[in-house]
Amino acid sequence: MTATQSTGWIGVSAPRREDALLIRGRGRFIADVSPAGALHLAVLRSPFAHARINGVDTSAAESLPGVHGVITADDLEGIGAFPTVWRLPGQKECHTPALAPGKARYVGEPVAAVIADSRYIAEDALDLIEVDYEVLDHVVDVEAALAEDAPVINEHMGDNVIIEYTFPGINALGVAGDLDGAFAEADEVITGRFRIGRYSGVPLETRGLVADWDDLRQTLTLHSESQVAHLLRTELAAALGIPETSIRILTPNIGGAFGNKWDRYPEDILVSLASMRLGRPVKWIEDRRESLQATVHGRQQLQEWQLAVRSDGALLGLKGRVLSDQGAHLHSVGIGPAWVTGAAAVNQYKIANYHCDVLGVATNKTPNSTFRGFGGPEAMFGIERMVDKAARKLGIDPAEIRRMNMIGADEFPYFSPGGAVYDSGNYPTALAKALEAVEYDRLREEQAALREQGVRRGIGIGSYIHVSGFGPSAILGMLDYYTGGYEGSTVKIDPHGRATLYTGMIPMGQGTETTLAQVAADHLEIDIANVRVVWGDTDQTPYTGFGSAGSRSNVAAVAVIKAIEEIKAKAVRIGAGLLEADPEDVAYGDGRISVKGAEEMRSLTLAEVAQQAYWGHKIPEGDQPGLEATYVYDPANFTTAYGTHVAVVDVDVQTGKIDWVKYVVVDDAGTIINPLLVEGQIHGALAQGLGGAILEEFVYDEETGQLLSSSLMDYLLPSFTDLPDFEIHHLETPSPHTEGGFKGMGEAGCFPAGAVVANAVTDALSDLGIEVDETPVTPARLWGLINAAGG
Amino acid sequence: MKPAVFSYSAPESIEEALGLLAEHGSEAKVLAGGQSLVPLLNFRLARPAHIVDINGIGELSYISSNGSLRLGALTRLTAVEESGDVSSGHPIITRAVSHIGHRAIRNRGTIGGSLAHNDPAAETPALLLALDSEVTARSAGGERTLSAQELVGDRFFETSLGDDELLTEIRIPALAASSGWGFQELSRRHGDFALAGVAAVVTMDGGAISSAALGAFGGAYAARLPEAEAALVGAEAGEAAFAAAGERAAAEFPTTSDVHGSEEYRRHLIGVLTGRALAEATSNTGGENG
Ligand SMILES: Cc1cc2nc3c(=O)[nH]c(=O)nc-3n(C[C@H](O)[C@H](O)[C@H](O)COP(=O)(O)OP(=O)(O)OC[C@H]3O[C@@H](n4cnc5c(N)ncnc54)[C@H](O)[C@@H]3O)c2cc1C
Repeated sequence: MTATQSTGWIGVSAPRREDALLIRGRGRFIADVSPAGALHLAVLRSPFAHARINGVDTSAAESLPGVHGVITADDLEGIGAFPTVWRLPGQKECHTPALAPGKARYVGEPVAAVIADSRYIAEDALDLIEVDYEVLDHVVDVEAALAEDAPVINEHMGDNVIIEYTFPGINALGVAGDLDGAFAEADEVITGRFRIGRYSGVPLETRGLVADWDDLRQTLTLHSESQVAHLLRTELAAALGIPETSIRILTPNIGGAFGNKWDRYPEDILVSLASMRLGRPVKWIEDRRESLQATVHGRQQLQEWQLAVRSDGALLGLKGRVLSDQGAHLHSVGIGPAWVTGAAAVNQYKIANYHCDVLGVATNKTPNSTFRGFGGPEAMFGIERMVDKAARKLGIDPAEIRRMNMIGADEFPYFSPGGAVYDSGNYPTALAKALEAVEYDRLREEQAALREQGVRRGIGIGSYIHVSGFGPSAILGMLDYYTGGYEGSTVKIDPHGRATLYTGMIPMGQGTETTLAQVAADHLEIDIANVRVVWGDTDQTPYTGFGSAGSRSNVAAVAVIKAIEEIKAKAVRIGAGLLEADPEDVAYGDGRISVKGAEEMRSLTLAEVAQQAYWGHKIPEGDQPGLEATYVYDPANFTTAYGTHVAVVDVDVQTGKIDWVKYVVVDDAGTIINPLLVEGQIHGALAQGLGGAILEEFVYDEETGQLLSSSLMDYLLPSFTDLPDFEIHHLETPSPHTEGGFKGMGEAGCFPAGAVVANAVTDALSDLGIEVDETPVTPARLWGLINAAGG
Repeated sequence: MKPAVFSYSAPESIEEALGLLAEHGSEAKVLAGGQSLVPLLNFRLARPAHIVDINGIGELSYISSNGSLRLGALTRLTAVEESGDVSSGHPIITRAVSHIGHRAIRNRGTIGGSLAHNDPAAETPALLLALDSEVTARSAGGERTLSAQELVGDRFFETSLGDDELLTEIRIPALAASSGWGFQELSRRHGDFALAGVAAVVTMDGGAISSAALGAFGGAYAARLPEAEAALVGAEAGEAAFAAAGERAAAEFPTTSDVHGSEEYRRHLIGVLTGRALAEATSNTGGENG
């Protein structure tokens, strides 16, 4: 893209402007931030899953040369902790403390922090801290945590149930469906019990912080990788008891975040506090072991479903219970992901009668919180496995049962009994396109022929919805979600006619800088090289309480469009004065302000008008000098991305190993801003989805409560050699709910992946009657099923 | 993840290194490629007071072949993998080494370090067992020769080397012209430590197997599988013999469990992989290889 271009920037595969910097090693990450005189912090973490802390002796550590201070829970008087922003009715309070107060509740929970001249000395000092632990019984299994005699993790709660939330399955009129009737009418009731494994984002760049307190100015500069720096600023000010005006948060490049860095963490408080108390910059870089233990985990659920079906394949009713394994504390979003599971579980299907109980359950494990997908992939696993089971039971092809139950293209907006309003799409077409791409009928024939030769090939289908574009703030309020869903953008045109765009979004690999520049260039009708994007400084950027998420560009993009509309209107008013024309007769186009019908003769460039705007000599009545605008866009409604994936796999029954044959994605994320970046996001999300489907798992030892997957030798991330080639096709149904028609797309790739793999493997082993109902589908786990089935 | 305090020396000759080992005794650790030792240091699972870095000892790095193969202990795994001398006479080594971690690890990791570390899931110890290899260990007091079995046999993450001994050379005898080899491993991802693996070397007499050596890994320790080997001698190469050997292999394998697989699963895998390695070995006898 060398030639300059003034129009049509939306829909173009512009290369990422971030890349030159990152590829040439000129990116700047937290570890690169090293203020002079910085001290280093290290965290002492509980080696036990559940232990009373009867005393912490720090004297030896404090007297080690090079140690500047030690912080224990006793030193936190007057210091708060971060709240849970999602506070559903009936939810018991058990938010994450900054340091375990009197009791450690999971392996890796922060117990104390040391600040020293170097990380080496700090770690030597950790060895010298003597903690008097009284080891308590622990519980790491969610069902065991519900037992009468289970150890109670948060005593004040009385038991381990944090919340029991019911989705009553109401329709658009607020009336609950007839679930009993549906089950009475059913020819078959299909049951399923699914264990969805615990895994997480595991960003290549771990968390890190550099805090720098300026005693004279009374300001705290915090370098952080938070995806939502403004919300961190607000909550940090409250926790530290200092004015928010004192805090400036700077965000450098981020080496992966995946939702995990949306949360606020104990270390945010500890590192800031250390700098304030010692009057020196303090740096902390999370090491890999800490990252696996102490950055939030995700996904883990135990689901039980019952699906009422008619013999012709009609899905009549769905009821279920979702046990969300929350870990020891609620983290920033509470049981949010599990709530989303309950809201999304009916997926693309016209299941009129629905009921779901979602239980948040405490266990002695790392908190389970924000992770790309946020409850959606879990929901898709449940429903897509259930639909496959129904198809098998009824002898209907799994593609056909989906097609016949899908919401039709003419039924939007569709009010789902999960509570979401689906905006638009064509679900059956996406399915048909996916089947066509894999040559479904031929594939089925080939499968039968291969089976004769002893090759077990399986075909798995998974459809999904992704409710994105969170969300209208008023609705978030109704959901007891204590932050807003809007996104702001400030656009300033300089006197030379170039644009600078300020966003609260944080690029973390998804190409935000490029896509927002594209939207701005498209709407200003100028070359993208003339748009600069400023991010990562809370002193400069508009407030956002929602911040960056994989599926937020759609909201931020509208804020950019709206701000630019204001700028263009003002440019027209100023330009009309200069052109001595009636503003009604003047229009903005091609980066110029021109008299309609006389574009050749009576026309000014944006730069000419901008120069005038800053001279201020001829500003129309009612306008101010300058040419800038801020728009805060609060989405009118959610958008619903959707699609269908199909996987083809071969299974080695002797070893339980899966080989990829093919993987096809059809998705619809509305209007596409940048096809190249969309493809990249699908690849990444899919890798993450398939990682959780076959490789990634945080395994806890029942006996000891230890996290066994505490290095990357045991927590297995997928690399490209572990993944299939992805074949991607798009539909593009612009969302009627947003300006521009964009839907969120950064997460959807991971949505059906687990179900698709489980369905494919189940299909491959259909003669053995094996049902793959647990993820990840590891060779050992799969062989266990095969062996039990006598295969 | 920073190591505890240690002192460090970088000898430039074997003699110098042996002197340092004699001086520091059990307080010392040899540092070769560091691919296993450095993580252990960083996790503070190993806390040697003194590190003897042997990377500057050029005389420990060589590959020489005259049918049998001699490898200096400090020879990098990549050098072994890329050596024509190795692949022409002992292609099973080339193949096995390609399964060790990833290229970056093999660029630093050494054949001696891999053997001395003796991870039960590592390829090298079982491979060298199957190849009837021997090693030279030197100390300030002298030099001794040990068979691979004497060095690593029945041991878990340790060897029979004394604290003051340095592994200097590995010797692998030539393979018979009528021999074939097979190497089968199952790991979660390519480059991971094996869930289970088998190295097989067989000698054929027409269609019958005249001798077999099986080295298995991924259990409690690297092991030869003598029962399975005995069952193969004199047997006609084919599915029946492989299956019978596989059954015995599974039964005698010193299995173990971890996050990636149970004892039962690993035992089963050794049976399957023994059969596959034998099928491979008997199909490439006479110098051809896969
Ligand atoms: C990501 C990763 C993946 C890996 N995957 C595999 C795998 O799939 N298979 C596999 O087998 N290995 C694997 N490894 C381990 C690694 O390949 C070997 O253990 C390794 O290369 C050891 O050799 P080194 O030279 O690095 O030894 P070092 O790490 O330097 O030393 C290892 C041990 O051997 C001792 N030692 C070294 N040389 C001598 C000597 N000459 N005399 C006496 N003692 C000595 C050291 O004191 C130390 O105790 C992996 C490692 C990593 C980091």
